[in-house]
Amino acid sequence: MSDANLTATTRSADLDGKTRDRRAFDRSFGQQWLRKLALPIALVALLAGFALADDRILTSYNLLNIAQQTSYLALFAMAQMVVILTRGFDLSLGPTVSMVSVGAALAMAGMGGGEAGGLVVVTAALAAGLALAVACGLFNGVVVALLGVSPLVATLGSMNIAIGVATTISDGRPVQGVPSAFSQVFYTGSLLGLPIAIVIALVVGVALAFVLSRTVFGRSLYIIGTNPQAAAVAGIPVKRLLVYAYLLCSALAALGALMMTARTGSGEPNLGGTLSLQSIAAAVVGGTSLAGGRGGVATAVLGALFITILSNGMNLTRIDGYVQMIVLGAIVILGVVLDRLRLSAR
Amino acid sequence: MNSTATLSSGNRTASSGDALDLVLRIGLLPILMAIVIVGTSLMSPYFLGWMNIVNILRMASFLAIIACGQALVIIAGGFDLSVGAVVALASVVTAKAMAAAASAIGGPDIVAIVIGIGAGLGSGLAVGLFNGICVSRLKVSGFVVTLGTMSATAGIGLLLTNGIPVYGMPKAFVQAIGRSQFLGFPLAIYIALAVILVMVFVQRRTLFGRYVYAIGGNLDAAVVSGVSIRPHLVGTYVVSGGLAALVGILLTALVGSGQASLGGDAMMLQSIAAAVIGGVSLRGGIGRVEIVAVAALFLTILGNALNLLHIDSRIQPIFLGLIMVLAVALDEFSRRRTSRV
Amino acid sequence: MTSADITRTTTPNTAEPLLVLSGVTKRFPGVLALDGVDLDVKAGELHVLFGENGAGKSTLINVIAGTFPPTSGSFRFGGEEMSELTPHEARAIGISPVFQEFSLVPSLTVEENLFLGREKSAAGVLDAGGMRKRARELIGELGFDLYPKARVDSLDRAHQQMAEIAKALLGNVKLLILDEPTASLTERETGRLFELIAKLKTDGVGIIYVSHRMREIRALADRVTVLRDGRHIKTLDAATVTDGELVELMTGRKIDVLFPTIAHDPGETAIEVHDLSTADGLVKGVDFVARAGEITGIAGLVGCGKSELVRAIYGIAPIASGSVALRGKLLDRLDPRTSLRRGVAYFPANRGVEGLALSRPIRENVSMAALDLSRYQRGGVIRRAAERALIGPIMETLKLRPPNIERAVGDLSGGNRQKVMLGRAMARDLDIFLFDEPSVGIDVGAKVEVYEFIKRLVEQGAAVVVVSSELPEVLALSNRLYVMHHGRIAALLEGAAKTEQNVLSSFFEEESREKAA
Repeated sequence: MSDANLTATTRSADLDGKTRDRRAFDRSFGQQWLRKLALPIALVALLAGFALADDRILTSYNLLNIAQQTSYLALFAMAQMVVILTRGFDLSLGPTVSMVSVGAALAMAGMGGGEAGGLVVVTAALAAGLALAVACGLFNGVVVALLGVSPLVATLGSMNIAIGVATTISDGRPVQGVPSAFSQVFYTGSLLGLPIAIVIALVVGVALAFVLSRTVFGRSLYIIGTNPQAAAVAGIPVKRLLVYAYLLCSALAALGALMMTARTGSGEPNLGGTLSLQSIAAAVVGGTSLAGGRGGVATAVLGALFITILSNGMNLTRIDGYVQMIVLGAIVILGVVLDRLRLSAR
Repeated sequence: MNSTATLSSGNRTASSGDALDLVLRIGLLPILMAIVIVGTSLMSPYFLGWMNIVNILRMASFLAIIACGQALVIIAGGFDLSVGAVVALASVVTAKAMAAAASAIGGPDIVAIVIGIGAGLGSGLAVGLFNGICVSRLKVSGFVVTLGTMSATAGIGLLLTNGIPVYGMPKAFVQAIGRSQFLGFPLAIYIALAVILVMVFVQRRTLFGRYVYAIGGNLDAAVVSGVSIRPHLVGTYVVSGGLAALVGILLTALVGSGQASLGGDAMMLQSIAAAVIGGVSLRGGIGRVEIVAVAALFLTILGNALNLLHIDSRIQPIFLGLIMVLAVALDEFSRRRTSRV
Repeated sequence: MTSADITRTTTPNTAEPLLVLSGVTKRFPGVLALDGVDLDVKAGELHVLFGENGAGKSTLINVIAGTFPPTSGSFRFGGEEMSELTPHEARAIGISPVFQEFSLVPSLTVEENLFLGREKSAAGVLDAGGMRKRARELIGELGFDLYPKARVDSLDRAHQQMAEIAKALLGNVKLLILDEPTASLTERETGRLFELIAKLKTDGVGIIYVSHRMREIRALADRVTVLRDGRHIKTLDAATVTDGELVELMTGRKIDVLFPTIAHDPGETAIEVHDLSTADGLVKGVDFVARAGEITGIAGLVGCGKSELVRAIYGIAPIASGSVALRGKLLDRLDPRTSLRRGVAYFPANRGVEGLALSRPIRENVSMAALDLSRYQRGGVIRRAAERALIGPIMETLKLRPPNIERAVGDLSGGNRQKVMLGRAMARDLDIFLFDEPSVGIDVGAKVEVYEFIKRLVEQGAAVVVVSSELPEVLALSNRLYVMHHGRIAALLEGAAKTEQNVLSSFFEEESREKAA
């Protein structure tokens, strides 16, 4: 036997055993299904509760309205979910929406508003919006992935920058002159009887679900979120993909921003307002794990639906807007509690 | 340093690391500060005027007090996004309680003032306690919990006032706390100095301060060494909430009414920026409040300089964002350059 | 050093040894880490725990230190039954562990770390002067070359080890647990530690000492307890037992059965490293060659730079200067992705941290490093049927049990996790394999399978590099053996020169060379 026989400790292996201990707890399918169905059940209960309080809730008009409202938040929640999957965050999402809104409106106004052709106007808006979103996403991605700054501070920084840009280029006032051709494409139009917002959200949702579950990019995002070091050792280009994730997040936010601009009919420097918070709340309540690597389109959309129904119901039952802020805060905390319970149950 | 060449298994001698550290961390703040002060005083004659200096120091006091609490939370490995909302809540609660007490009791103003201040501080401490309990029980980053309490606290503040300023506080309150001066400086500056001194003492010389460093520096080591984690984590959030409430009360006395629009996101962001620029590591375990206070002063001077130079106030957040990211990026850079332990 | 300064130990009830464990069992899911282990330690005795990796030594000392409770069995200390012991309580009653993973806070000073959790204070205010004085005294008594105000993250591993030992000796110590304490100490510091241990023994402190080093066992031990596969094999009197006897008890088999005979057939040069230094300074001016068809071993102490060398070759550890050539072609950039494309695989020592995405299924973990190949994807879209059809048979040949590739890796045992790593290397065509501590944390049966895997690779003509702290392992497996010391190559041993004695003496030669320089 050797004198220099130094062994790395096996303590870590032993401690791994403890996590396995906990995981063995609930292999039963029943519990797993219960966890998956918890939110849909809560949704139905919520709807039922509001329906009892006010009979306007369950009208087909209101249901379509809810679906349409949900499509905006769902887009933002999906955007947020993409970066949360990688253990990130995007606090600049709301201000990005504001920035894109005024940027696109200014571009359209610069093109002569309604006088130019519809296609030209929409292209200009798309180009301006996308350019701003790419700039923001690139900043976030580069600062997080290449400079190693925590996503929190990086996006807190870009949040400030986006707010500054949005208010500066708009002079702090709404930008008028959004032509009807633009609204036609992003708000009033419809396809197969469905409002365009719902159609866009559906298309994005299906495409994103495909990307996440079936492509190398999507698979890699989950692996990076689960264990970034292992991903790097396995040759996954972690830094590059992180930049892509932030870019995708900003691009989806920009799409949502164009839709909201079309709805309000002007570029609003405060359009993003509480959207960062709402999108994080939706993603987390839906079951996207802040620890990274867990979540998907379904969790983001369900979360968005939950929050939209809640605020729709509160609006109809005339609950004060300030109370709604309190409820939103409570939901965020509730979401973390649920996330914690889910993780420790594994 | 005592590590000799034969003993160290690498060439990472401590001295070169410290030198780099000094340049990268301590260096950024004085350099930026000197540039801003010299540059602005050359371009604006008002900048070094007495009134402007007093004004800068007063505004810096508010930020420094909040940033001290924020720094403590970050050193323990957390985050407190609710401080801005707590300022607003404390302002509203103080004003409401004081006005109610004044009209109900009618006696000497001092009773109403004490009740008002007590209520305001109490509201901040309560929010801090809630944050701390959630964070330490759930063992999640304080970030999301306080994101939630930020929204809820702001909502409560608005709900209490419907967004309308609250008047009816005794005049003595505004005169004694908001407008009184000592040796030519407003009271707020002395309070801020006292808070900073106490916090320096807490960090250096008390068990609480030591444990906050240990918990943020290596949680596992702290647990194994028998440090009780929860009370100290809760403590950091309570201190942060309490200090934010103190600023809420001081601002209320200054403006003469309770307003749900005080503090807010801007103050929260600036407190994080001050902590980060002041060398507090987001990885926890590192940071000193006195440097954070200097960083708060720097941010205030920067804002003041931008105003004096007629730079659009709307652009100012851009500077704040860039400086904050730059500070953290430099910190990361220095960490990578020095030893990896 | 004056007598009772370090410890104020009262000898406990002499009728019973200081520590008595009987029938202690610790079960983790799927693993029986300890199976009815008996152990007693007397006051003033040094008791060596001896066994292979995974024999249960670490689990046992963690149970004694209160890290986790035993599943069943009796645990008596100082004549009292211990139940629900926490690490804090264990320290309070005089059980002081020194683990290999340090319990130090990097951002605090040595002095602050020594007193962490038991600061001298009055009404919450620290007695800084009193603690400084006590820390100086203690460090002086121990004779350690430690500066109390130095921040721990500015210290190298050896000094951190000293700080950790000092921390364990502050206060009232009755039972000291040392887990390979000399792993990163120099000869001189080791000598100092041994004097200290002798002194503690005369003060009546019981010591549990985990080590593989025969020389230390000879010098220090009163009794030796051998563990194997979580079971207590035998407790022997150190004075009468022979080295051969201990090794046989430990392995339970002849060593040549554990290690396969490998036919080395050295071919052309696969890796050629010239004057390489890493950015972290752990590798300094290393020249290194590995050839196809043979196993090249790298041995050395913890922290000597041997893993950093292979990590630099693979492209994870940044390089400061020097060059790396693969198959005669000089490389201008090193990163894991290009390394894999050039046919280089790396197996990290810590599979949980650097190898596996634990909550993802086995299938994804195996294909993870090969997703750029057209067999697994087309235009960025994963070919899921093809993936399943390729990964299934790979894990089949590696004898994954149960053979379900959709299970989460986190549910697997250490041996099966290593199989997932091996499977990853089979998921694409590779011919240079870098193993970093290939047998850490896996049981004997799995070790044999890993060695067989390595044997197959070499015999198919691949170049294999094995980095290991287990000297018997590298000695038995490698055809040529590099010995590293303090970031430099201390020796290259081949053929008959490849003996344990030569490896050890090359450490000392290198050390005296460094001293002379």
